[in-house]
Amino acid sequence: MPDFSPTELAVPGFVALVLIEMIWAWRKRREAYEPRDTLTSLAFGLGSTVAGLLTGGLFLALFLWAWQFRLFDIGWSWWAFALCFVLDDLAYYWVHRFGHRVRWFWASHVNHHSSQHYNLSTALRQTWTGFLTLGFAFKLPLVLIGFHPGMIAICAGFNLIYQFWIHTEAIHRMPRWFEAVMNTPSHHRVHHATNPRYLDRNYAGVFIIWDRLFGTFEAERDDEKIRYGIVKQLGSFNLIWAVFHEWIGIAEDVRRAPWRHKLSYLLREPGWSHDGSRQTSDQIRADWIARSPAANKVAANKVAVENAIAETGKPT
Amino acid sequence: MGDIPPDLLQFAGSLGAILLLAGIAWSLKLGPRRRLDSDDEAREAGAEALDGFVPIAVARDRDGEAALLRDDEGRILLLRQHGSHFAGRLLGDTASARIEDGALIVDSGERRYGVVRLAIDQPEAWRDAIARL
Repeated sequence: MPDFSPTELAVPGFVALVLIEMIWAWRKRREAYEPRDTLTSLAFGLGSTVAGLLTGGLFLALFLWAWQFRLFDIGWSWWAFALCFVLDDLAYYWVHRFGHRVRWFWASHVNHHSSQHYNLSTALRQTWTGFLTLGFAFKLPLVLIGFHPGMIAICAGFNLIYQFWIHTEAIHRMPRWFEAVMNTPSHHRVHHATNPRYLDRNYAGVFIIWDRLFGTFEAERDDEKIRYGIVKQLGSFNLIWAVFHEWIGIAEDVRRAPWRHKLSYLLREPGWSHDGSRQTSDQIRADWIARSPAANKVAANKVAVENAIAETGKPT
Repeated sequence: MGDIPPDLLQFAGSLGAILLLAGIAWSLKLGPRRRLDSDDEAREAGAEALDGFVPIAVARDRDGEAALLRDDEGRILLLRQHGSHFAGRLLGDTASARIEDGALIVDSGERRYGVVRLAIDQPEAWRDAIARL
């Protein structure tokens, strides 16, 4: 297995591009960066690499063990890499979608969204607690098909590198053909928005076609200013709080909830509560549509059912 | 240098790069603080913090660093500066308020969001409204 980590090699490029974007912000939009926010985001990135070092070997070992049960012997050919990259991106779409629709997964992924800024440093705002979720399970089918775990890891690395450059407001739109197929700064700005229209949309990693295919695509509009972050903004630059706040929230909710609702605080979507005291993204969007039915009729028709567990019952 | 594990060296290098980038952001004076210079700006920030929140009363801090907004349902939204943005909290029964040196001190009841000081007109009315929540 090759000892090759594309993300490690890309780090100097990340640093250089953040620096270039800062100079752009200095000249054009000084509010695009905030030093304490930048420091928090970059510290997230450093911490996530440490977490990856501590836990990554475990997942690789698990994948290597599972690989013995593979259906096919897929070698290290160029076409295998290309196919693996596409299928890994499909797996990423579903990991990411679950990351937004199941609170247990969201507790880890929320870290990436908790900045009210959207710049290249936000891209490095990666979780420390991904190992506590079951994200790796979404990639097991690739192992069982026969793709080597090392190949999957390399493809995932390139996927992550691709996603770096789309975290910017410095690029408005890419050429039309590119916007149609690939994830772009425009599509991903939508994903990081808290505007009701944009909540839980555009989960793609590299190829936006997955969102178009599975009904979660939303185009960025020039007439609607994007608000970045999370529905309940952190209001703190404290790194440790930023890392663990949702896990602490889950623990408190589970402790307080009646027994029959405890598990729902893990498995239902973020914002769900047994007493209806909070709002999920679907409820926020429904309220927004109700406030302006004519203007938002199109959006209403596009609302998709995204968490089957949540759809089985209403809060009691 | 030969005795230092490569991972530790990489960690130290990354930490150095992070501090350097944050230092550059500071020295370029990026992230100017946003201020609420009018009630309309406070309303806009309120709608950003809580979608659909339409205030009927606004109390804006004289320095534009915070605001209290009340809607027709009696709900009170507290806004305070957070870097170059604002962060808001809909106050609940764990919130409290007191007056110190003529300014209203609002405790959101949430430790990490903290206590907010507002220099506003008629602080007593807002203190009492928060007490009724």
